Amino acid sequence: MNLQHSVMSNVLRPYLAAVRSTLTAALTLENFSSQVVERHNKPEVEAGTSKEVLLNPLTISRNENERVFIEPSINSIRLSIKIKQADEIERILCNKFTRFMMQRAESFIVLRRKPVPGYDISFLITNTHTETMLKHKIVDFIIQFMEEVDKEISEMKLSLNARARIVAESYLTAIQG
Amino acid sequence: MDNSFRKIDIDIYDEDALRDDELYETDPRDPAEVLQDAKQRQGAVRGFLAKNDIPGALTVILENAPYGANVEEAKIITLQSLLTILNTTKATEITGVVKLLSQDTQDTLMKYIYKGMAMPGWGDISGSVLLGWHEKLTEVAGVGCIVRTMTDRRIV
Repeated sequence: MNLQHSVMSNVLRPYLAAVRSTLTAALTLENFSSQVVERHNKPEVEAGTSKEVLLNPLTISRNENERVFIEPSINSIRLSIKIKQADEIERILCNKFTRFMMQRAESFIVLRRKPVPGYDISFLITNTHTETMLKHKIVDFIIQFMEEVDKEISEMKLSLNARARIVAESYLTAIQG
Repeated sequence: MDNSFRKIDIDIYDEDALRDDELYETDPRDPAEVLQDAKQRQGAVRGFLAKNDIPGALTVILENAPYGANVEEAKIITLQSLLTILNTTKATEITGVVKLLSQDTQDTLMKYIYKGMAMPGWGDISGSVLLGWHEKLTEVAGVGCIVRTMTDRRIV
């Protein structure tokens, strides 16, 4: 089990390393008031009203089904993750899992209530977050989340299959008897 | 009541409104000239690859790389030749090759790595090769290289 785990993380490592360095680069945020509406201060990446403060969005991908999209701006960044979904069961589990998280978005602070189109889950990190929390801890959190979510979904899939097998077995024994 | 007028972006009619092409200096070259140039480089790269000179090939393709609008075809040709270089380089040689490049070339290489990763499954893009290059390049050029990719409006 331990060996299997280390092999998996070895394949995943360059991907997570790329996300880590890109996220570290993007997380240089400062307080910045809206240039369009007076006395407003909103995440520019969400408002999208002044393009000079939006930076080039970057994508990090392993393949078509696993990618991370980072949209940096002067006072906020948006990070969206496309989680690996190999089959129908994984798709359902992933949907349920991300939905569960996003309904409780305020407990995760940086989680966005709705994912960006084309992705499964999005995070919105603003300058307030980088000021009140440690930057490297935020990066660690995102990386850890990405590691855990794959593991979580494959574990759920295994236990779901095991449960289905037991249910089918006991149901069919009942018919047989 | 019709309220679709609320959705009209009136700010673009402002004479102070910022246009996309004001964010960077546009390439003075003519698009046709850029395309011609890209095709020539593609040939040059093959020559360098035959001699197994990876740093030379990278320098040729990355210097004065096409950027901005209206040069999509030249960008694609450049990306294709670059991918050939990246895919043929052995994983153990990458660090040595990257160290030989100038800072500007490293930045352009980073831009192309992100461009490649943004279109997975296209052509002969391999996620693991690009991630390998990305890791080695970040080790050599630092996080600043990624910051320059994000802030440079001359998109390749």
